[in-house]
Amino acid sequence: MAKIVVLGAGVAGHTAASYLQRNLGKEHQITVVSPSVNYQWIPSNIWVGVGRMMADDIKFDLRPLYKKWKIEFLQAKAINFYPEGDAILQEGYVEVEYTSSEKSGVRQKIPYDFLINATGPKLNFAATEGLLPGTGNIASVCTFSHATEAWQLLQEKIKKMEQGEKQVFVIGTGNPTATCQGAAFEYILNVDFEIKRRGLDALADVIWITNEYELGDFGMGGAFIKKGGFVTNTKLFAESYFVERNITWIKRAGVKKIDEHKIYYENLEGEYLEQKYDFAMLIPGFSGHGFKAYDKRGSDISEQLFAANGLMKVDADYTPKPFEEWSINDWPQTYQNPSFPNIFAPGIAFAPPHSISKPMKSKNGTPIFATAPRTGMPSGVMGKVTAENIIAWIKTGNPQMVHKASMGKMGAACIVSAGYGMTKGTAATMTVSPVVPDWDRFPDWGRDINFTMGEPGLAGHWLKWAMHYMFLYKAKGKPFWWLIPE
Amino acid sequence: MENRLIITKYSDQYYPPSPTSFTLFWRRFIPFQLIRFFVLNWKIIRIVVKGHT
Ligand SMILES: Cc1cc2nc3c(=O)[nH]c(=O)nc-3n(C[C@H](O)[C@H](O)[C@H](O)COP(=O)(O)OP(=O)(O)OC[C@H]3O[C@@H](n4cnc5c(N)ncnc54)[C@H](O)[C@@H]3O)c2cc1C
Repeated sequence: MAKIVVLGAGVAGHTAASYLQRNLGKEHQITVVSPSVNYQWIPSNIWVGVGRMMADDIKFDLRPLYKKWKIEFLQAKAINFYPEGDAILQEGYVEVEYTSSEKSGVRQKIPYDFLINATGPKLNFAATEGLLPGTGNIASVCTFSHATEAWQLLQEKIKKMEQGEKQVFVIGTGNPTATCQGAAFEYILNVDFEIKRRGLDALADVIWITNEYELGDFGMGGAFIKKGGFVTNTKLFAESYFVERNITWIKRAGVKKIDEHKIYYENLEGEYLEQKYDFAMLIPGFSGHGFKAYDKRGSDISEQLFAANGLMKVDADYTPKPFEEWSINDWPQTYQNPSFPNIFAPGIAFAPPHSISKPMKSKNGTPIFATAPRTGMPSGVMGKVTAENIIAWIKTGNPQMVHKASMGKMGAACIVSAGYGMTKGTAATMTVSPVVPDWDRFPDWGRDINFTMGEPGLAGHWLKWAMHYMFLYKAKGKPFWWLIPE
Repeated sequence: MENRLIITKYSDQYYPPSPTSFTLFWRRFIPFQLIRFFVLNWKIIRIVVKGHT
């Protein structure tokens, strides 16, 4: 019997657990550890944040499903890793602390034969002074509860505009090296859509603030797409989207501090500037969860498992090299830890070898650029590939890692909602193939120009809406869920 | 486009292309968007399937 422990029940972790239970016999034990009992379909947080969906529409309780699938579920969070065990327990284990009300604070050792760390990012609000959602005029859409609060705050601002008071909405990145620009981009477009739908646009200034060197960078160095008889850059695409809506922007900005009425940022020119606001939704920096790892004598071996940002080291090439020498071969394919081959880290939990966008520093030496995104589709694929490799290892006894998924080979699709509605809604369907540009394979544009696109239109909204129901259907393990691709 | 009138000249916002009413029409024209819906679906599925081995 093999014991497989999955940390995290998000896109990567839940996908891995689903395929493990489907393909392994009942003699093997699968345990999922997650601090929340809910699975949430994060991309739809955007619609919760503008009141078009409720939190209950985008999440569900995992416990009945795991019970049906005979997966053990622990409502707890991982804290420490003991990949060699310790003096008492002579096998690899992870120390968890329960978060459920009945057992809150209780710690337990969970032994494993295989460990999947799919704990995603720590939303590092503390890295930016004053950036705490739910305080003052600051919102977030990173979780369903944040998005619910964002909608409450947005309603207050809408009421003020209805009473004739002008409001400034600032949305974007809240840390000099934040990622996930796509989510903020969607939110600003949806907020703008809701303001216009209510005829309040004359009373709203909507401003995009970003650490991107140019708009449309999205942490992947931008992309080339075919548009109107030209091959153009996503910079033009993103700017055009904003110009069409009278949204203005501040780029190359590293937000350092925020108080109730002002955002303080430094730009690449090294200037320290301020922006007034009445409503701000700024994506925080992401980091690892601060896990510690120990060997069997109790010595700290965290450096073997985790990179400096706290994310887990995998089969990437972490040798520091200049931007010009970066290649797709630096990117991991199996998400296996090099020191402990029975530990894997799919999804945002793995430490990327470097960013995809070119790292930039301000004249004062502050790094200001978008770090590498790892969106839902690649995270799901990584979760599946990890499960497939573990299944093959258990069934054959041979750790050959035949299943591979590199961000330098796989593509990603991100449907950027820009307004909700079956006839009046709109979204830009953005695809890149591959995520990390491969200049050897595609010397002209870095990516497959036929499968890298940005197309605005009503069809995009239908797609995003259909994906919401389709991916929740899949996550709920309804009949034939496995036929739905990641 | 009327948006241009309120954009300060020589600012970043002054230069990017704005969609014409013709372009906006196609973005909302349901029969055309239905076709695009299927085309986009096919492209996305192809990307997912080809992305891993
Ligand atoms: C607002 C928003 C919109 C987005 N929209 C899109 C989109 O349209 N398309 C797209 O492709 N991507 C989108 N993304 C990105 C996408 O949500 C992420 O790429 C994806 O969720 C990453 O999956 P993951 O499994 O790595 O992490 P997560 O989904 O964050 O899952 C992490 C899991 O780990 C658990 N966990 C945390 N700490 C611990 C611990 N100590 N121990 C155990 N478990 C722990 C968490 O509770 C959670 O269950 C969006 C993101 C945001 C924030």
